[in-house]
Parts: sequence; C-alpha cells; structure tokens
Amino acid sequence: MKLAALVLGLCATLAVADEPAWRTSWDGTLYGYANTTSLRGDSVLNPGNRIAHLAQRSEVAELRMNLKAENESVRLTARPIALIRETHNAFGSERYDDAYLSQWQVRVRAAEGWNVAAGRDVLNWGPAQFRSPSSPFYFDNGRQDPMRELVGMDSLKLTWTPDMQSSVSLVRVVRSGHGATQPDAWRDNWQMSWLMKFDRRGDEWAYGLVAAKAADRAAFLGAHGQATLSDALMLYGEVGSSVLARALQSPADAAQPFTVLSASPRRITALVGSSYTFEDGKSLAVEYLHEGHGYTSAQESAYFQRATNNPGMALGLAPRQLGRDYVHLVMQSNQMDERGFWRLMYTRNLTDGSKEIAAYGEAVLNNRISAFGLVLLPQGNAQQEFSALSRRSITLGLKIALP
Amino acid sequence: MHSAMFKGKAMTRFLCALSILSLAQSAWAAPDAQGILKDSDQARGGGLPGIVWEIKLASRDGDKVDEPQRLIVKATDNSSVAEVQEPARSKGTKLLQVERNMWLTRPGLSKPIPISPRQRMSGQASNGDIAATNYAGDYEAQMNGTEAIDGEPCHVLDLVAKHKRTTYDKIRYWVSVKRGVALKAEFISLSGKLLKTARFDYENAIEHEGKRIPFVSKMTIRDALIDAETTMQFGAVKVNKVAASEFDLGQMQ
Repeated sequence: MKLAALVLGLCATLAVADEPAWRTSWDGTLYGYANTTSLRGDSVLNPGNRIAHLAQRSEVAELRMNLKAENESVRLTARPIALIRETHNAFGSERYDDAYLSQWQVRVRAAEGWNVAAGRDVLNWGPAQFRSPSSPFYFDNGRQDPMRELVGMDSLKLTWTPDMQSSVSLVRVVRSGHGATQPDAWRDNWQMSWLMKFDRRGDEWAYGLVAAKAADRAAFLGAHGQATLSDALMLYGEVGSSVLARALQSPADAAQPFTVLSASPRRITALVGSSYTFEDGKSLAVEYLHEGHGYTSAQESAYFQRATNNPGMALGLAPRQLGRDYVHLVMQSNQMDERGFWRLMYTRNLTDGSKEIAAYGEAVLNNRISAFGLVLLPQGNAQQEFSALSRRSITLGLKIALP
Repeated sequence: MHSAMFKGKAMTRFLCALSILSLAQSAWAAPDAQGILKDSDQARGGGLPGIVWEIKLASRDGDKVDEPQRLIVKATDNSSVAEVQEPARSKGTKLLQVERNMWLTRPGLSKPIPISPRQRMSGQASNGDIAATNYAGDYEAQMNGTEAIDGEPCHVLDLVAKHKRTTYDKIRYWVSVKRGVALKAEFISLSGKLLKTARFDYENAIEHEGKRIPFVSKMTIRDALIDAETTMQFGAVKVNKVAASEFDLGQMQ
C-alpha cells in the first residue's frame, strides 16, 4: 500500500511538472432539514424504543462540498461534509457534530488508456434501484432515501480503458472509509480485500462482471447488465453470489433458539427490472428481488416469535433483508428536468406481505434554493418487516446551492 | 499509312475528350451527397479526434422562459459526456452517452442511473444535439436539388437513419455550396411529420490538420407543433483527443 502510494505520488509529481495548467472548481450544497418519526408502541424488535433508541424527532444542518483541481494528467477531487444533528426521543436529546471526507481521489493518467487512483471511492454500480446485489460493499445502495450519502471505501485502483467499449479495474480495498458516520459491519468485513471488475458496452447494452476476495472469507461473484430495447424501454438485472460473514439462523420451529453462524451458506441474490419512459419523460420502473439469504415465511414468523424474548439479538443481528422475495415499483418525473423532481416508491415484501409506500418531492424556489420532502409510510403489523419499528416518517427541508 | 496514323491519334484524342467530358458532366450532375454530409459534420464536431465545448442553452415554451443552462461537453463521434455548470443547484450533474446507452450521475449520488433515450434535457434540444454531429455515420444521404437559404445557394440533402440509435428518423439538410456547412435542418418523423426546424450560425473557427474550419456558434431549434424555441450557443471550442476513460462510468468521480 505504501509502495503503491509512493508510486502514485511520483507519477503525480511528474505529471504536475509536465502540466502546469490547472483548472480548479468548487461548489456545495447547504442542507437544513427536520424529521419526525412515529415509532410503534407495540414493537416486538424495539419495545418502548429501549433497544435501538431511535430518534423521534431530529434537526440537521449539513454542508456538502465538491472540490476539484485537474490538468490533462492529474485529477484531484474531494467531497468534504460537515454536519450538526440534534436528535430527540423519550430518553432525552443528543447533539452530534461531525466533519469528514465522504469521498476523495487522486487520479493520475499513467499512460495511454491507463489510470491509477487512490482515495475513498463509492464502489457501487449496476442499474438496480431497490438494492445492489452485484456490489459486495453496498447491497443497500441508499437510493430509497434521497438524503442519504454513501461514504466511499478507502482503496487503490488501477484501471485499463483500451477503448470506449471496455474497461478493467483492479482495486485494493484497504478499509471501509469513514466508519464512525455509517458503521457497517458488512463493509468492514472487506478490509484488505481485492476487487476485479470488467465492464463492456455495446450499441444498446452494457454489462459488468465483479469478483472480490478477502483473505479470510469466501469470494464474492457478481454481474450486472442492461439493454435499451427502444427509446422508452429498458431491461436490466443484477446478481451476486455471496457468503455472509455472520448469519442469524432462525429455524422454522419457534421452539428452537436463534443460532449465529460465522459464515453463512453461499447464496444467490438476484434482481431483475424494467423501466418504461413515457412521452413526457416520466418513467415507471418495476423490480423483483430474490434474496437467497433471507428467511422463508415460516422462518420469518419464527424470528418475530423469538424476538419477543430476545429483541436485542433479533434486531442487532438481523439479516440485511428479512424476507426472500420483494417487488419494488418506482414512478418518477423526468430526472433531467430542471424545474423540480418527484418520486413515488412502493415496496412489498412478498414473504410476509408488509409494504412500504414512500414519496419524495423537490420544488425549485429559485436558481439556488429548493424545498424538499420525504414521507415514508410502512404498512403492516409489528411482526412484519417494513412495519416492525415505525408507523410513519416525515422529513422536510431546504437546500441552498453554493457559491 | 500516314493517314491511318492520323486517324488513330485523332480517335484517341476524341475518346479522351469524351471521357473527361463525361466524368465532368457526371460530377456536375450528381455531387457526392455523402461526401458533402461528411464535410459538413466537421463544422459541428464530427469526424474530429474529439472536441470539448461549452454550450449555453436558453429555452422558451410559449411565453414561459426556462432557466438558462450552461454545460461543458466532451465528445467523440459516438460518445459524449455533458457536465452541468449552471444553474448552480445542478452543478456537477453529468449526462454520459455511449452509443445508445445513457447514464445520469451527480455528486453524492450512490451510483449512476441508467436512463432511456426518451429522457432528455428540458427544452427542444435533444441529447444528440449537444453532442458532436456524426450524420455521415448515422444517416444515408441523397441529393434533392439546390435551394437558397438567406440568398446563399445550398445543396438540399435528404437523410434517412441507417440504424435506430439516431435521435431523428429523417432529416432534410441544407448545406452551403460555397462554405460546405449546414445552414438549416428539418427533423422529420418516420411517418413524414415535421417535428422541429433548426438554423445554424458559424462564427467560431477551429484549427484541424493545418486547416482553419468554420465552426458552429449557434443552433436555434424551433418546435414545428407548438410555439417553443431553444437556442444553443457554442463557445470555448477546442479540438482535443478525449481519452476513453472520460466515458467510463467507473471513473466519473
């Protein structure tokens, strides 16, 4: 790692010496938003909010910046974030301040078609909206919450791009980035791992192949692809084959206890989807997810029954999705329209029948200021996935573009 | 003998003259439509190793005037990446187009979003209009006479799409006889309905292979069905080879 950083530094120095013409730019967005969440009084996983201590109200002020300096050979980018968050629940109020680099990168064009980069990179890809089965690091891709910011993985990357159609990347993942803000056991397990990615694009299609390996765990294999069938219709899919580092086993017989495996059996997770764009630019996407690591209906039912006596273990070690099969619908306005944006989402867990309806809207007030709102409405009872913790959540805010 | 030789030489001269005349006549009668199209593409960014330009977009729909946009576009014949500079709230948003595949990304977005060709920028400009023009690669051209535009004689070319990746099915294209640049275009649907008209100005110039080439400075697109108009002003034009990595989704941070 140190040697690679030294080589990168040397390349950058040589390139800088050759190319004095730097272009610099910066911009940022200042966010101010408040959330109110109505928690379930009868929650099995979080009775009386004693397990998770979730916020019932919060106010956030956040500055997200983008800095860039580049010449013909070297590009430096950074995305620093500073935030102040005040949270309130029945136990009291808490204030949390933080400042960190969500992403940064030094990229050097080492030779024709070859780039070397070091930094904190969001190693996420693929066309799916609901989840990203083809990424070993970001299964929950954050697309359901437009306010959420993914923190990158600290990594070194060598990329060969011989032409417009192909690219190959070899990445050494060092650690999971800024863990304090978004602690993530799943991503932390990929410290000091290798990632290889191959991408290919044709006239109307694109696909990527992914392989990741850490020293003490089984390899992850993934693939994603998309086809543009017409001006309006796209088909796409993502698949991943993985062994999870920790798996909470929930036998269908509720009389048996939870057991925790240090490595799950290898399972396939796959998502297929299609999107259709209407004449006015609105689009409808339909996705189906099969999560091989999820529980069957009987296992999920037994999970909630066991959680009555052991909610801490049930919530703390819960699998990334409780169910096995999901449908996700997204209807949204033209994403390239500068005048505003809205997005309606409907997700159904086909294993337990719970649903979540979400709506996000953004209205442009002037060329710098936009107002936005996000409403989440879980539908179901306390022993179903989407409705296990809360009844509704509402976020309202403003964002101001800088400079 | 002498007479026979004289007759032979005269016949050879006659045949040569006839061939030259015939070649000249055929050239005069049918100028090479595809060649004219290819030459005219250069003044709109086509056939170059790569081009970087700034586009200012202003759109009007009836009395409603849209917010102006400013983009930096890097393009080759079949790929382009446009980065929004203004309005400030959209700065850093990038639209990547490789063949018929398109993705949208912006700072902080968890991953690029694939979008269909039907999702285009607001106003009358299509995604193809902001990229380099490669009509010679995308369309079959046929000569359809000559006609003057603002008093300037033009070849009239009928263009028919060679494949379904094109933005428009058919185009009628007026190319100046003298300057070799397109002055007007009519964009036509497969059924023959006129969708939009465009006019072009060439107050920019680029240097390429030791030649100074006039280059598009303004494109005005008017909707044929409703009262709407978009003006694109092209500036800061540079002919540059654009590296393939600029169009690689994994390197767009």
